Amino acid sequence: MSASDAFGLFGCGLASLAAAATVIRLRRLPVRARYAVMLAAALAVFVPIGELSIAAWVRGVTGDLSTATLVLAGAACFTQVTGRALIEPRDKRALCGLLALAAAFLYPFALGWTPFDPYALGFGSVEFITALLLITLAAWAARLNLIVLVVIVAGLAFLAGAYESRNLWDTLIDPLVSFYALAWLLAGVRRRPSNGLACPTASV
Amino acid sequence: MPPQAAARAESSAEPLYRSQLLPNNTAQSVHSATAAEISGGRLRAFWYGGSREGAPDVAIYTSVYSPRDGAWSPERVVMTRELAQRHLRRTVRKLGNPVVGRDSKGRLCLYFVSVSVGGWAGSAVNLVVSEDEGETWSPPRRLIASPFFNIGTLVKGAPLLFSGGAVGLPVYHELLGKFGELLCLDSAGGVVLKTRLSWGRSSLQPVIVPRSEKEAVGFMRYAGVPPNRILIVRTADGGVHWSPPAKTALPNPNAAIGSALLADGPLLLVLNNAEENREDLSLAISEDFGNSWRIAYRFEGDSGSPQAPVPEYSYPWIMQDRAGDVHVLYTWGRSRIKHLRFNRAWLERRR
Repeated sequence: MSASDAFGLFGCGLASLAAAATVIRLRRLPVRARYAVMLAAALAVFVPIGELSIAAWVRGVTGDLSTATLVLAGAACFTQVTGRALIEPRDKRALCGLLALAAAFLYPFALGWTPFDPYALGFGSVEFITALLLITLAAWAARLNLIVLVVIVAGLAFLAGAYESRNLWDTLIDPLVSFYALAWLLAGVRRRPSNGLACPTASV
Repeated sequence: MPPQAAARAESSAEPLYRSQLLPNNTAQSVHSATAAEISGGRLRAFWYGGSREGAPDVAIYTSVYSPRDGAWSPERVVMTRELAQRHLRRTVRKLGNPVVGRDSKGRLCLYFVSVSVGGWAGSAVNLVVSEDEGETWSPPRRLIASPFFNIGTLVKGAPLLFSGGAVGLPVYHELLGKFGELLCLDSAGGVVLKTRLSWGRSSLQPVIVPRSEKEAVGFMRYAGVPPNRILIVRTADGGVHWSPPAKTALPNPNAAIGSALLADGPLLLVLNNAEENREDLSLAISEDFGNSWRIAYRFEGDSGSPQAPVPEYSYPWIMQDRAGDVHVLYTWGRSRIKHLRFNRAWLERRR
């Protein structure tokens, strides 16, 4: 198995585990039960049933997932198992806002609605790398460490050849995390009038 | 962007025109032929076949044509859905269009479409490589060409070689829109660049024909509002920039086309010469690199020619071998692949 296959299957499996743990609200169970359920779920996700594992099936649908998805999914798994939040709401709000903006810039144009193709910029263009560097520096200065973490992990994974794609966009963002970010932000806006909070307090 | 492999030897002086059906003892339905010249002046063709288009039993088949014998070998399977699924380590529901070309190392590269979810809008492109002229193949690898779950990308046009050694692969997208792009692949087969050939919802299946390192012309199938015409794009800077798609005078019933530039000769285009159906398959010739066209011959659609059970003649593939002969392969009634071979002497009589 190639490194990119292993990384791709791991990412899809991790996202599947995070989704399952969140849906069944794992952290409501006793601590030992959480670990047991997570272990059983991991076996179910990664061990092939017949020719394909659940992770491979998910990979067929979603392709390889971005580091933003992996970081959020990993944090969600950690929270569901330990009961402790890893990510501050402020950090998550900033990342989700940035992902929503990036998705609005990337997807409509990448789907061929205009001659302009922002996806092509991800093949190592100076403009793209400069913008990414400036955003990362701004996030670091504002102590938005989650954004910095996602960019660093994406850069390392890209350099290590962990992705099938040679396009930096694919290491940073995918449609799944874009939908999630948008839904999370909208949920925050919807809750604001009733409880006065600027964003959801529950985090991962 | 160099010219395609040029024919150096002269064709036979006597006009030659032969047609035959490729063997098919396996599949009820076949479609989308592609071919490359291999050692000994032979031709290796590929197509997909199965119980019907889009069925799980669709596989990619190959057969070899020997010009000495004038015959095709029995078909054999190159790729199945199960094999692709196992090596790609993800679910694969069906297989689609193959196209074949060579990379800068001279290896045969076979690109083929696979779908994991849904219809053709859920397609992705994969690559297998052969170092022994198509006898054995590497495991497939997935090409990443779209940020949206990497779906919606298909192939139909022939790959070409850039002067730096990279491969140019014309592709098209069918997710929400319909538009063409040119992918640039490195020696490992990874997508390292791409350029948009068109945009919107009405152009697909680009075929690109280079004339020099800088100059090329591209043709695309048209899926927009009437009048239904073949689209044309041009580049004068090696594919960095392309002109906006424009309609030619040639009709197009929302069907694939094939094109090749002959060595020291005219530009040929194989098309369905109608706006509404695929019952007529014709040869058009341009002496001015695509500015003007003349229909030179009707391959299918004459009342005297044998009719396929289903009168559809589509998805043409045209190429010139090193001996100078021209080969055309296309879907014949969805049940067989047909091969036409003609030489320059035959063509001269139609110019």
